[in-house]
Amino acid sequence: MEVNRRDFLKVLSIGGAAALTGCSAQAPEKLIPYLIPVEEIIPGKATWYATVCRECPAGCGMLVRTREGRAVKVEGNPDHPVNRGRLCARGQASLQGLYNPDRIRQPLLKDASGTLKPVSWDEAEAWLISRLAELLQQGKGVGITWMTPHLTGSPDRLVNQWLKILGSTRRLRYEPFAYEPIRTANRLTFGREVIPTYDLESSTVILAFGADFLETWISPVMYAREFAAMRAYKDGRMGRFIFIGPRLSLTAANADRWISVRPGTEGVLALGLVGVIVAEGLVKGLSQDEVGRIRALVDCYDFKRVSEATGVEPEEVKRLARTFAEGDPGLALGGGTAVSGPHATTTLVAINLLNYVAGNVGRTVRFGPVSTLSQLSTYREMLDLIQAMEKGQVSALFFSEVNPVFTMPKAAGFERALGKVPLVVSCSSFMDETVAKAHLVFPTHTPLESWGDVEPWEGMHGLMQPAMQPLFETKALGDLLLSLAKRLGGPPAQAFKEESFYEYLRARWRELHQRLQSDVDFETFWVEALRRGGVFEAIPAQPVRLNVQALSQVLEEPELAGQADAFVLLPYPSLVHFDGRGADRPWLQELPDPMTQLTWDNWLEVHPEDAKRHGIEEGDLLTVKSPDGEIELPAHLYAGVRPGVVAIPIGQGHTAFGRHAEGRGANPLALLPKEPEPRSGGLPWLSPQVTLARTGKKHLLASVSGSDRQFDRGIAQVIPLAELQAYAGKEPHDEHKVLQMYPPHEHPNHRWGMAIDLNACIGCGACVTACYAENNLAVVGKEEVARGREMSWIRIERYVEGPPERPETRFVPMLCQHCDNAPCEPVCPVYATVHNPEGLNIQVYNRCVGTRYCSNNCPYKVRRFNWFTYKWPEPLNLQLNPDVTVREMGVMEKCTFCVQRITEGKERAKGEGRPVRDGDIVPACAQACPTRAIVFGDLKDPESEVSRLRQNPRRYRVFEHLNTQPAITYLKRIRPSEEA
Amino acid sequence: MVTGHQLGYVQADRDLLKTMEPAGKLYYMLLLADVVVLLWGIYAWMTQIYTGLGVSGLTHPVMWAIYITNFVFWVGIAHSGTLISAILFLFRVRWRASVYRTAEAVTVFALMTAGLFPIVHLGRPWYFYWLLPYKQMGGLWPNFRSPLIWDVFAVFTYMIVSMVFFFTGLVPDMAVARDQAKGWRRLLYGFLAQGWQGTDRQWRHYTSAYLFLAALATPLVISVHSVVSWDFAMSMVPGWHSTIFAPYFVAGAIHSGLAMVITLLIPLRRVFRLDAYITQWHLENLAKLVILTGLIVGYSYVTEYFIAWYSDNTFEWESFRYRALGHYAWAFWIMIIFNSLIPLLFFIKRLRTSTPWLFGISILINIGMWFERFVIIVTSLAREYDPYSWGLYTPRWVDLSITAGSFAWFFLWFLLFAKFLPVISIVEVKEELPAPLKAGETG
Repeated sequence: MEVNRRDFLKVLSIGGAAALTGCSAQAPEKLIPYLIPVEEIIPGKATWYATVCRECPAGCGMLVRTREGRAVKVEGNPDHPVNRGRLCARGQASLQGLYNPDRIRQPLLKDASGTLKPVSWDEAEAWLISRLAELLQQGKGVGITWMTPHLTGSPDRLVNQWLKILGSTRRLRYEPFAYEPIRTANRLTFGREVIPTYDLESSTVILAFGADFLETWISPVMYAREFAAMRAYKDGRMGRFIFIGPRLSLTAANADRWISVRPGTEGVLALGLVGVIVAEGLVKGLSQDEVGRIRALVDCYDFKRVSEATGVEPEEVKRLARTFAEGDPGLALGGGTAVSGPHATTTLVAINLLNYVAGNVGRTVRFGPVSTLSQLSTYREMLDLIQAMEKGQVSALFFSEVNPVFTMPKAAGFERALGKVPLVVSCSSFMDETVAKAHLVFPTHTPLESWGDVEPWEGMHGLMQPAMQPLFETKALGDLLLSLAKRLGGPPAQAFKEESFYEYLRARWRELHQRLQSDVDFETFWVEALRRGGVFEAIPAQPVRLNVQALSQVLEEPELAGQADAFVLLPYPSLVHFDGRGADRPWLQELPDPMTQLTWDNWLEVHPEDAKRHGIEEGDLLTVKSPDGEIELPAHLYAGVRPGVVAIPIGQGHTAFGRHAEGRGANPLALLPKEPEPRSGGLPWLSPQVTLARTGKKHLLASVSGSDRQFDRGIAQVIPLAELQAYAGKEPHDEHKVLQMYPPHEHPNHRWGMAIDLNACIGCGACVTACYAENNLAVVGKEEVARGREMSWIRIERYVEGPPERPETRFVPMLCQHCDNAPCEPVCPVYATVHNPEGLNIQVYNRCVGTRYCSNNCPYKVRRFNWFTYKWPEPLNLQLNPDVTVREMGVMEKCTFCVQRITEGKERAKGEGRPVRDGDIVPACAQACPTRAIVFGDLKDPESEVSRLRQNPRRYRVFEHLNTQPAITYLKRIRPSEEA
Repeated sequence: MVTGHQLGYVQADRDLLKTMEPAGKLYYMLLLADVVVLLWGIYAWMTQIYTGLGVSGLTHPVMWAIYITNFVFWVGIAHSGTLISAILFLFRVRWRASVYRTAEAVTVFALMTAGLFPIVHLGRPWYFYWLLPYKQMGGLWPNFRSPLIWDVFAVFTYMIVSMVFFFTGLVPDMAVARDQAKGWRRLLYGFLAQGWQGTDRQWRHYTSAYLFLAALATPLVISVHSVVSWDFAMSMVPGWHSTIFAPYFVAGAIHSGLAMVITLLIPLRRVFRLDAYITQWHLENLAKLVILTGLIVGYSYVTEYFIAWYSDNTFEWESFRYRALGHYAWAFWIMIIFNSLIPLLFFIKRLRTSTPWLFGISILINIGMWFERFVIIVTSLAREYDPYSWGLYTPRWVDLSITAGSFAWFFLWFLLFAKFLPVISIVEVKEELPAPLKAGETG
């Protein structure tokens, strides 16, 4: 590669500028070899690039930290309005997509024997061009079909344009969770087929009907942040949250109450609530006339009937309605697989009506900006495609990063129909079940290597830039399409002026520039957009009116028909694997599911009472049978599913998709029926009839939890709201004084400490994965996790309190407490763990001989031992953080409070000639936390946030009586008042 | 007192040196079997060093398990020797003469076995010398606050004193052996005899040195196991953190040590036909001591439970509840029954004077005492403060093989000892015999 000195410096100057501004204006076009060490490149200095997370359709802004040309960590972009600097576990794990050892590394072409063989890019493109030219000649261009996931902005436009040039409009944006019932219900009730903005933060009461908004629903990081703000205790009050649905999900576990209803009757309950609100005159902001018409609609849903249908106590229905109507404003959310039964649209219409009568529409439910998920293809459109494929109307199918073979019900027959398509071309990064069926496979860049833009909500233009050079011989989808068009020649070649997708993208952004900010020159606009991660417009909400007429036809009695002895099956999107696309990321496999605490697997949740009746025990391998299919899954006894319901997480059961994903559990989609819900055309996830039978085999489930109960040991504490209100400025009690044998440690400059607000912690596990990414934690695999040897430095302990019918779930992030009187320190015979002058309990890996005495003596059990020298399958090793030692076998390790970040923060402050400021240093866990539950800082600084939180009346320290003097203060979770 | 006035000095010399004659088939078969087990254990250890401690059953939170169990067990076994040879010597207990050599050998070999385990259980055993008290890495001493360093001192001190005591006691016997041996054996025994001529001066020095060493070794019996117990008691693990641990462990150590001596003496006496020297009277006295130690141990078990209940400490009480009723309850009941109930059978004279009963019960006590350490270590770690981190330990082939190998290692030394050194002190036996009247044998 020829790089002359001038080019070299030019590229470097951009890099240097990027280092100053924080983000790069342009990725280097070619890899720079360090032949001549140049002053501007400072080895050991990180460069950050702003981009957008593509792990789910939420479109969170992301900053990628690169070192020596390699992406090593991703964090939320504080400037991005979706996530405001926070990121979930799946976002953190996007790095393991980039560095996945099972990425497709070169184009593959299916030979006569039906196996995919590697070919060169040139061969692959030439082969495709000849096939396409053939098709076009035969006039079959109209049958060319493109299927992408949720795409917006330039890539979306390019795909459509490309397709149009070839003479086709067959285009699908396929997501397994397409929110059809929400969109249809909004069309029916308000005349707009969209997903509106839900304002959780301004609500004082949230009622969620099945919507797992803290996990996977629409935009979980955004909702988690808003939810935490809504739940925060201020001025003697906190927001209320009630969850309604057949399963205690992570979201439900964060509610004041989980109301378990008969599956499919959420809509009846919503109408019952409307009925009570109307009857008791609690309606807000509606004319008498309108109220009258609504009353006529819901008249038949008196609370007694509702109670019978749903299984909720009559008084409870009333109380619930009053609580919701008190909301100023309130917010009812509906969605998720739990309410996506055969009557999903009706349920969502009922919820719309509930929001309407409570005066929330226009306040917390706003039609603008709307989600671009509103443009997704419906499940019915996918069925239409399958039909067209079966009939031979699809002459060529192109797809990119979608996996319908895995994510559609088997009964829908996508896989079979795919066999009828003469030309199937995949443009994906991973060999999943669908890609394996393609005739030609183009490996594409992962999002971290790509240019692009993402518009999750109207007017929110996130900009993606590559954080590093492509790892393999892959191409960006956009570049591939442009290259194909060029090769086709003729009109297609003329249609595109741009040489690369980068230029194409810039051309579209020139339009944005014209529209939004024509007062500055384009380059300034562009660089600023790159630096901030995009351009964000404010889109005003549009007023909507209720269409009462349309409603009268929709509101019918929802009911799930089922046999008496059959279970209702509830498949739910897994927090870590989403629809299955996270299953090849080892971090996500090893991250315990928060409610079941299980890792590396798939399971069937069955209520202990049902299990007892059917003689099922934990880990029994069951045959799960529905009219449409049959799978085998191990049973997990879970009191959080309603009796009569069984739940299965979606996302495992891959037969392809790499070493980490394959052969784990089974895919519940095999059990679902083909027929869509008639009104919305969505997939009815809730399948009414499954039966269970024991196979007689046992299956090992790798749980990380040693106990569900904390036996009054005061690890996860709560404070009743009334008690907290009673304090009102008074100090609760003083920490008891103890006699010390040794003089206290001196901390001349800093004393690092942490405060963890259990009222904010939702238990999502983002901090855990962030810690894996930052601190080079090893992934040990299922068998080792089952032995208790997972390496996580921070874990979310989950405890269940209260009676089984009204469980109270408590989450506690547990990590090294950096005790002032650390029990681990005196017992180490070789001084491998010592107290440093800044209050850190540090572990000296090189000195450790591995007696493990420190771990025995740690009451918090946060020390992890290297049982082996763990391996990172190449190229996952490229992600390793160069600032953190990779540990070898035989040494102990644990949380360091991200000492590398502390050092970096101090160095930065020193370089700028100022003292370290509060907030300069943020450990990876605190940085990731979607709800800002973790606050880190200097306890020596009385003004720091952590020092102030240490004075909070909710404060406590775990095992205070042991006199370990932890540096971590927990703030008790607030238990709201009992009623409702 | 040694039975029969018919025994004389020459007879004693002949009888006791006979054990050192060339071995029979049985001996070689035993030796072969022992070496095979030992090699297997070494293979398991090599596997563990090469692959990592992960091949063992150790886990989070049970970071110590049967390696430390073995360590404490073997240190415990080592207590019999010093007790019998030093303390009983100081108290002028006459029946000690016939058994003390074997007891001392058990001490030395048990310490050699015990000493392996702190290294076996290290995550990085190749750095074991960092635990030794010397200035390392440019000025760093080990952490003298750590009980593990106290262990190093205690065990090393005990080992050195025991060995010196053992070899000192051997000197006059080695002279007897030297006088009758030929070839390389003569050189070996000559070296060990250290030029012993049996002169008055030598005897005077010898007896005072022996007395001095006995006095030096006696406090060690108490201190070593007290220090070992502090590995546990000094930590804050519920079930470990207890002031009773030092006396409790010392009693347990003597209990197990006596049992091991009985276990070894009985076959030894049979094989070498030493009934005249190790008589029922000797064994009965050992059995009486076992009753005493068994009672102390039993009392400790009860006290632990009483304190756990009386303290009203949730963590402590749960730990003890779990011991008796939890996953490892079987081990707990083995410990209770074998260590404190079964030894009570020795109150019955018929049983304590019956060799099969003695032998059987001594083996049960050995098993029980091994499980005592297992129960203390594993059950306490399995249920500590944080319920979320509760977990179980199940041994795997590597831990079990290394444990088996350690027994083979111990018995290898014992087998060699039985063939190369007089298993009974010739000199002290002779002290018990009536002095010869004239020359040669007496009638």
